[in-house]
This record gives sequence, structure tokens and C-alpha cells, in this order.
Amino acid sequence: MSDYELIKESPLGGAEHEFDGVTVAEVIDQSLVMVALPRDRAVDIESAMGESCGLSIPAMGQSTKSSDASVTLWRLQKNQVLAYFSYDGDDAEVNLAERFDAPAYYTDQSDTWGMIRVSGERSRDVLERICPIDLDPSVFTLGSVSRTVMEHIGTIIFRDGDDSYVLLTMRSFSRSMLHAIEVSVKNVL
Amino acid sequence: MIINHPLLGPRDSEEFVYLGSTDLIDRPTNWEKSAAAEDFHQYQYIRENIAGDIQELWYHEQGDQSWLVVTRSTLTHEISNVELAQDFSRVKGRGK
Repeated sequence: MSDYELIKESPLGGAEHEFDGVTVAEVIDQSLVMVALPRDRAVDIESAMGESCGLSIPAMGQSTKSSDASVTLWRLQKNQVLAYFSYDGDDAEVNLAERFDAPAYYTDQSDTWGMIRVSGERSRDVLERICPIDLDPSVFTLGSVSRTVMEHIGTIIFRDGDDSYVLLTMRSFSRSMLHAIEVSVKNVL
Repeated sequence: MIINHPLLGPRDSEEFVYLGSTDLIDRPTNWEKSAAAEDFHQYQYIRENIAGDIQELWYHEQGDQSWLVVTRSTLTHEISNVELAQDFSRVKGRGK
């Protein structure tokens, strides 16, 4: 038994800030697992996922939800999808592999990303200052997902509600991203 | 400059990294032959300096990590075609 005990901590320590018309809050109850789709097995994987969770592989830049709505699949690349799902345990990879029961390759990415939700009626006003993607509701529709650069930081943006967006950056960039969002809030509001 | 990604639509060139001419796809395979030194010299260093359309490799580093073949005019910077390097190479009998 070691002398030390490690305490689990999210990248931003559960930060949450309320502004007039915008809420910026860390997302701490979701896990992230990469699911690689070998070219010759993509069809088998999709049918196995469909059987176990009611999931299909989304089109590029889009997402699909499992029948119980707990798992969302993001398609950011041609040959892989990211599974974003409700789970806060330490073994997300095993958990998802069991739920899917599909012959794909799984890699746990949960703790390597910091996730920040920007929501509220003025969320788009705040994001349009830093996001080069067209966020018009008719273009970046509900469930759209994209990887891009914001304030020189590689960022995944996912629209999870009418006025709600989840931004993901590599864990070590979380504070810089939070700062970028807060500066944008001050500039806009 | 905007690059119209074949899978993701128009993206700012800030998201991409430039590599160079698509000549880099045609790596010589005759490394054991006597002509290899000259062929590799050509492959590595010798480029046409074209005034007009050229095909070049761009990497979507801050995006989906795909390699693209972009056809761009060196006179106007107009981009006339963008395709996946994977498809481009397969047509040439390269890659899997």
C-alpha cells in the first residue's frame, strides 16, 4: 500500500459560471471512447451496434443517439467515431465495449479531454467571436459536430440543444479555453 | 483562403498544414537498382516551377486528419479541385 492516495479531479474542477443569458459549465458526467472502424468490418460493427443499442454510424459531421439516448456517436473522421455517453466510472472503455458488443477497436479518451458546455439564449453570440464554423441554426443543426480551431486551440464543438453547445479541448488546454470563452462573454455582453 | 473539404465542406486554411507537390506520392520503388540514386534525387529535390495549376498535398491537422490533394493556380491562388489523397493514390495504384 502506497503512502499516497490519488484523488480524482476533473480538468476544471467542476467550474460553472452564470452570465446574463449564458451559462458556461464544465461537463463532468460524460465519458468519451474512440471507436475505430476497420474498413472491412464497418458493416458488421454497425449491425452489432444496431442490435445492442439501436445505434447507426452517423454521416460525417453528424451524430446518432442510442435507443435509450444514453450514448451519442460523433462522426469526425472517415474511419472512426467517438462515443459520448453518460458514465462517470473509471473503466469507460470496458463499459462501452460491453454495451456495444461489436467487433470494433475501443480507446478510452475520457480523461484526456476537457468538456465545457456553453448554453443559454446568447450562447451563439458568444461562440461566433471564437468559432470559425458557421453556427447558424439552419447550418449547424441539432446534433451537428465538428472539429476546428478556436483561439489557436484544437476544439471539437457539438450542438446538444437548441441553444446549447459542448466544446472539447485537450485536457491541458481546458483553462485556456475557459478563459477564451469568458473573454468572449465579456466582449459580447 | 478557404479549402472546400470533400467530406466536411468549406474550411479555413488555418486548419491545414501544407506539405508540397503530389510528386511526393510517387516514391521510387527501384531502390535496389543502379538508377535509384538519380531517381531518389529527382523525387526528393527536383520540382517543376509551374505558372498555372499545380497539385499539392495538404493535411487537415485541426480537423479530421485527412490528407488532401488540392489543385491550386500559382498565378491566382484559385483552388479548382479538392479530393482525398487516399482516393488519388489508389487511382495511381498506390496505398491500400
